[in-house]
Amino acid sequence: MIQDYDVIIIGSGPAGVSAAFPLVESGLRVLMVDGGHEQKIQPPDIDYLASRGSDIDQHKWIVGDDYYALRQSDTVSPKLRAPTLGYVFEGFSEANKVVEDGFITVGSLATGGLSNAWGCGVAKLGDDELGSFPFNALEIEPSYQTIAERIGISGGCDDDMSSYFGLDTSSQPPIQMDDLHCKMLDNYTRYREEIVKFGFQMGRSRVAVLSESYAGRKGCDVSGNCLWGCHKKALYSAYEDVQALKENNNFRLEQGFTVEGIERSEDTWRVAGTDRYSVSGFRSFSAKKVLFAAGTLATTRLVLGALKSKKSVKLLSCPTAAFMLWLPLHLGRKIVPSFGLGQLSFTMNVQRNTSVFGSTFSTAGIPVSEFVRHLPFHKRYGIDLMRGLLSSCLIGNIFLSGEFSSATARLGSNGELSITGGFDERVPSLMIDVKKLLRKTYWQMGAVLLPKSFTVGRPGGDIHYAGTVPMRSHPTVGETSSYGEVMGLDGVYVIDGACLSTLTEKSHTFTIMANADRIGRYIASKALEKKT
Amino acid sequence: MHNHRKKILITGANGYIGQRLVIKMLDAGYDINVLVRDQNCFSGNSSVKAFQYDFSSLPPQDAFEGVSVLVHLAAITSSLPPESDGIELKAARQLIECAHFSGVKRILFISSQTAKMDAPTTYGRTKWEIEQEILKAKGLVARPGQVYGGKEQGLFGVLVKTVRKFPIIPRFVPAPKVQPVHVDDLAEGLLRMTEQAELSAGVYSLASRDPVDFSSFLSSISKYRVRSFRLFIPVPVFLVSLSSFLLGRYLSDKLSINRLKSLFKLEPMETGADLKRLNLILRPIHAGMHPSGDDRRRCLLMEGNALLHYILKEKPRGALLRRYVHAIEQVRDASSLGIPSIFLKLPILLALLDDRRWVCEPRGKELAWRLDAATLMAEATTAGASSFLGLGRRASLLINLSVVVRAVVSELFWRAVKIISYSLLIKIMRQHRGEK
Repeated sequence: MIQDYDVIIIGSGPAGVSAAFPLVESGLRVLMVDGGHEQKIQPPDIDYLASRGSDIDQHKWIVGDDYYALRQSDTVSPKLRAPTLGYVFEGFSEANKVVEDGFITVGSLATGGLSNAWGCGVAKLGDDELGSFPFNALEIEPSYQTIAERIGISGGCDDDMSSYFGLDTSSQPPIQMDDLHCKMLDNYTRYREEIVKFGFQMGRSRVAVLSESYAGRKGCDVSGNCLWGCHKKALYSAYEDVQALKENNNFRLEQGFTVEGIERSEDTWRVAGTDRYSVSGFRSFSAKKVLFAAGTLATTRLVLGALKSKKSVKLLSCPTAAFMLWLPLHLGRKIVPSFGLGQLSFTMNVQRNTSVFGSTFSTAGIPVSEFVRHLPFHKRYGIDLMRGLLSSCLIGNIFLSGEFSSATARLGSNGELSITGGFDERVPSLMIDVKKLLRKTYWQMGAVLLPKSFTVGRPGGDIHYAGTVPMRSHPTVGETSSYGEVMGLDGVYVIDGACLSTLTEKSHTFTIMANADRIGRYIASKALEKKT
Repeated sequence: MHNHRKKILITGANGYIGQRLVIKMLDAGYDINVLVRDQNCFSGNSSVKAFQYDFSSLPPQDAFEGVSVLVHLAAITSSLPPESDGIELKAARQLIECAHFSGVKRILFISSQTAKMDAPTTYGRTKWEIEQEILKAKGLVARPGQVYGGKEQGLFGVLVKTVRKFPIIPRFVPAPKVQPVHVDDLAEGLLRMTEQAELSAGVYSLASRDPVDFSSFLSSISKYRVRSFRLFIPVPVFLVSLSSFLLGRYLSDKLSINRLKSLFKLEPMETGADLKRLNLILRPIHAGMHPSGDDRRRCLLMEGNALLHYILKEKPRGALLRRYVHAIEQVRDASSLGIPSIFLKLPILLALLDDRRWVCEPRGKELAWRLDAATLMAEATTAGASSFLGLGRRASLLINLSVVVRAVVSELFWRAVKIISYSLLIKIMRQHRGEK
């Protein structure tokens, strides 16, 4: 039987493009399908504060002509309310038939996937963390290296977070920090000995954001539009990689294609789905191998569907919390545009060596209303309070390991994937200890953890979903091999978050990409072996 | 909607009521034939077939073809020479005859509240005479009360223009009573009278159940339509009768004084049973007086103005206010929350309602949502960037400290006010809910 393609990759996010590069380079015919959403509303092209001060049409990108921000008012993060990012998230749950119960489900139908709106946090897993994976740490190292070089990373410097991130060999210098973060880092350095004794270490955030121009993208100019969309393309998005892949003759992209299911006949897999652009609305493609990179939730549904499994599977997701810091000595500081993603990151240990990872951010690029809505103040005076206070405030978030999730995913008889959320029973007490430790350490650094600001997020709010069809050395049905091949579905690979063997508190995207690269190389080399 | 499209013939379709009725019937999916003096008046509307007709000519036969309902709305409202007195009655008889001849199943005649055997005006007497003919032919008669709303036409048009023109308006004593009905509510009532098969021949009164003083009706016009203050001075009714006598019939007719006179002799209609039979709910007069036929938008604008004013501490700009209204129309239920007017007039008092504790109240949750929405919309303006971010304002330790202290003090102040005024507040809200 003659197949349309050698490999079909479902999804064009960070995982999909990372596997595509080695496959395309080896000469295989690769088809990539995705939901095809692209940016509709332009983010500002001058710095955030300048456009706030002068743009009389700012409501178009802050609220949206269709009142997107108001329609999304129940969502968990300002990102999910930004009209300029609406195209990233819109329609995912409906198209992929994901229903939630006490869990926040987010996914993407956009070309480039969730990386169009990600926090750009990157980190390598250490040897001990990779111990849970069914392969040698050395095996993924070249992939980590490849990805780091391709996407461009900044933040590398010799500090207390160097070994935690493990990325500094191929990193651009850090992006300029704002005054508040500079001051905090000074204080950290000054009182380092005491603070480290608390089990708290801090350093520059390592992010997939360019500080210098690289590969056609420009370096960050600190215009503070990170939340809305970077017109310099300093923030990595898989969208750019898709454009680069399209240059190859043996690569094809089908946009607007939502996969309904896969089916095998002999040695061929047929991928069927709905096509936004075809007349019948229905289309299918065939290939020898299918790689799932649709994002953990969509991938889980499709794999369980192909396995005809109604079993409930564990869904890893990091419990999170957010908090606000006030630096009283900086009260009255003039508000200036700042880098909007993580500027300083920290790791700390609570309760018998539970690792916590977190970062702090500037408040300058976020609508003030986002803060006012949570304040226990009358709106009218909450606004005044924020005008006076916000320029001396920072916000932060923390992540716990995904192993503290008790969420499950299950395929219903109607083909829907229903997700039930929940945390491990240890989480509440862990969070209390995290809060206490944060209060203590930041106090040392001259910052006050604002009362009532420490808020534990709802399950799924981290949008770090993983581990539903984990890689194991001895996989059983519903698990995958060390190369993500699904047990019981020969030639079907899971290469996104769904195949991670474990989910640590660290940002996981970089590891997903490296792992996808590793699997892509493996499949490419196998195909070459066959030919020769 | 209607598998079998019914055809309806309407006379007087170009009048004040007729125009609204035609629109209503077209919306309901009927084919419309109209008998009008000027055949070209419906030329812009391809779904209406117009036939030339006036009371002096015979009804055109082909206009009746396939018609199942005849709605007779045409009437002589202006004064005509006395020799034409019987012309209207004669025309009605001809119409009834034609209808029977062409197999029309129902005849509906729009009469008047003034219809009476011994009415003071020819108008009222003629209406009564035609009613008798219609009832004889097993037709339906509708007696509208004081029709108002929509375009400034008919008697309503005369009244609005009068109120607009004169700063001082007479208040007649003893007060005559009228029973208002909005022109669109009337049209809806007429539509139902043509549709409901089980209605028996008879007279149906379509008007507000409770009569209101004529002067309070005029005051509604000044308040909700003309939107300005008018001074009402008492005028004894006998003065009007006297002037009518002195001016003679021609001039009195010309100055609509005779119509006024018939107003004084109006007897209240019992409308409750008929409204119920037609399942017709009439809009309140403050809503109906608004040119659009309801004041939903106006209420939303007032609400948006108050909420945004409360948040920005200054009157919101027109564009922002329009966005608020549009947002509620697009994202929520499009209607205002009905916040008591004291809060709309003094937006700072909204601090008393801006409280999560109201969330358990029936509309408290929605108010909290709208305050959040108004906050974001207010921020997304250049004025908002100044008051939210402090852009363009000076910043220093002292300035910001005073901003923070003032915010905290104001917060505490309003919390205290809330505690002190809590029982009063509850009373206001309850009373308001009772009113609604």
